[in-house]
Amino acid sequence: MKLPPNVSQADFTAALTAFARIVGEQWLFTAEEDLELYRDSYSILWGEADERTASAAVAPDTADQVIELVKVANHYRIPINPISAGKNLGYGGAAPASAGSVVLDLKRMNRIVEIDERHAYVVVEPGVSYFDLYNYIQDKGLKLWIDCPSPGWGSVIGNALDGGVGVTLAPYRSHFDAQCGIEVVLPNGRLMRTGMGALPGATTWQQFKPGFGPRIDGLFKQSNYGVVTKMGFWLMPPPENHTTGLVTVPKFHDLIPLVDIIGRLEQSKIVQGYWTLSSPTTGTRGDAAHSGAPLVDPRILPILNDPDGVNMDKLAAAAQSAGLPFWSCEFNLYGPKKFIQAQWECICDAVGAIPGAQFKLNEIRSLPLPAQDLAKLFDVGPLGIPSLRTFSLGPMISYEGEDVVGHIFFSPVIPRTGEAAIEAMDVFARIARKYRLPYPPLQFPTSIFERAFLFAVGLPVTRSPVANAKVRAAFAELLSMATARGWGEYRTAPAFYELIMGTYSYNDHALREFLETIKGAVDPNGIMSPGRYAIRSRHP
Amino acid sequence: MMTRRTAVGAGLAVAAVACAARLGAYEAAARRGQTRSIDVLLIDETIEMPRQMAAFIEASRQRLPVLGIQLDAAAHAGLMRVLNSSRAIVGISSGATLFCLERLAWDHGFRLRGRSQWCASEPGDQAFGQDMAALLSGASAAPLATCAYRPSRADATLHAWVMHKSARPPVLQDRREV
Repeated sequence: MKLPPNVSQADFTAALTAFARIVGEQWLFTAEEDLELYRDSYSILWGEADERTASAAVAPDTADQVIELVKVANHYRIPINPISAGKNLGYGGAAPASAGSVVLDLKRMNRIVEIDERHAYVVVEPGVSYFDLYNYIQDKGLKLWIDCPSPGWGSVIGNALDGGVGVTLAPYRSHFDAQCGIEVVLPNGRLMRTGMGALPGATTWQQFKPGFGPRIDGLFKQSNYGVVTKMGFWLMPPPENHTTGLVTVPKFHDLIPLVDIIGRLEQSKIVQGYWTLSSPTTGTRGDAAHSGAPLVDPRILPILNDPDGVNMDKLAAAAQSAGLPFWSCEFNLYGPKKFIQAQWECICDAVGAIPGAQFKLNEIRSLPLPAQDLAKLFDVGPLGIPSLRTFSLGPMISYEGEDVVGHIFFSPVIPRTGEAAIEAMDVFARIARKYRLPYPPLQFPTSIFERAFLFAVGLPVTRSPVANAKVRAAFAELLSMATARGWGEYRTAPAFYELIMGTYSYNDHALREFLETIKGAVDPNGIMSPGRYAIRSRHP
Repeated sequence: MMTRRTAVGAGLAVAAVACAARLGAYEAAARRGQTRSIDVLLIDETIEMPRQMAAFIEASRQRLPVLGIQLDAAAHAGLMRVLNSSRAIVGISSGATLFCLERLAWDHGFRLRGRSQWCASEPGDQAFGQDMAALLSGASAAPLATCAYRPSRADATLHAWVMHKSARPPVLQDRREV
């Protein structure tokens, strides 16, 4: 049996016995076959000495049981690592942040505690998945929409705590920003509620985020300061209609005014839906209505396939010759028909300042769409519907002759400007070529965040330590190039926690020192997910 | 022109016959207590089954429940009900769908006990039919892969598989009302 670090066999056995007494023997998992399920299928350290694997897992059913488990963990100094759905593949999955930890599997805690249609919020436990919440709302016929990530099998709480995002309206896309009120078991076993929840009998816990005094909810995002057992989320009323509108601009450097103009529309809350950037030079029209394989103009294909990388001057000239606009943007638009039309009119007026801009508003569809229409759509996320269709994108490619079994993301946040987008496209493509990574000829930033771009670079994961080491080297170089430009990661796989935290080093790592000081104060024994997001107790 | 679909169809012509024949043998074995009774046959609706395999599936409907599955919210609730109430399930799916299903099924106490994949690049291959028959007969023969499915270049090919629920209670049960 694997042991947690610095724990004797006798203490570990005693702790497991105590765990079993609390939750029932059937909810304690120590068999190899069971623990195999608590590995991250997409681990970039698979099978290597540094892979984070669990020594045991325990599955409580209530917050009271969590409290008792935490007390036992403190007594025996057992590191415990809470997971919710454990489906966060590539970002750790069900695996602990530190090898040898006991996984606190919260899937059994899957109650929808409260849902309020009038005020559009829900309170859930960690085991509630996006599928669960969506189907619950459908079953009850509630006039509510969720914002969900792709894939949608993850936990609502887990995704928010990890900084996950969705693709509907801006106020709901950042899932942690959409939360309102947390119940958490602290590392000393004390139960605490944040915001208005600290007021006994509070009737506005899910209606007023700031509460009284410091707003500490953010301490529980991407951290290890407690076990979140309940969380409230703001939901949205279902929009009456949805459509997409397509904007194209002709020239490569039109991207700079285009992003600025859209930015102003977003800051003014005129554009609130998720919009996507693409280029018709790659053979797509750039909108979701497009179907079938991309048809690249034969004059453009050699430029896109140039082994030395895409020469943007050549591509721009070829696009002009072929009569293709260089950039396209697709906007998701929601609401009453006249509201959508007004939004579109504002977009056309603003972007119309760019010479040669063209516009196409697709049919405004009444929601919900009929089931047969939904079935034809690949991506139903913008309609607030979870799915796992992202897994059926097609066969995985290989890397270095090895089957690709998953991916990790290099996910820097870059400025919301055309200049930064162009620079990032060039810089990251060069590194991808150097490491012969599977990479599209043109990769675009996404507008998921409200004020910055996310530039997610997918990196292959194999079962070969040699190939995986090469990917880790590529990641380190991508990070180095990004950091040198002032671009930082928003989230990362456990293998890179230390590396990324090391880049947030302003004033001799003042942030890390502060986080670790807090850790030392609230978790002096260092039992709660040690090392998660590189936060460790300063006084273990 | 030989397409993936025609290749799969040609290859599975024999398979369908073999499977249909062995389904009866499986039921006899189950009655003798030599294997677990298969509760449901899950069919991946995200891929188009070759005609012969579709015929086999149709024939199976008379002997055991057949559930079409998709990786979407509409199918999810039905799938959860099946995973809650079943002890042994057999499926025919793409590798990509199996990857998802296996992870969902883990939470309900299931473990993959046998798997076979059939590549479209091998037209006329009878292996798939034989493997399918073995799965349905409960043989779970040693040559069949029993470890967790991992994504690979075989994601788009057909896989036949069987999962059994372990004796211990599943981590995930019906969501409770508060």
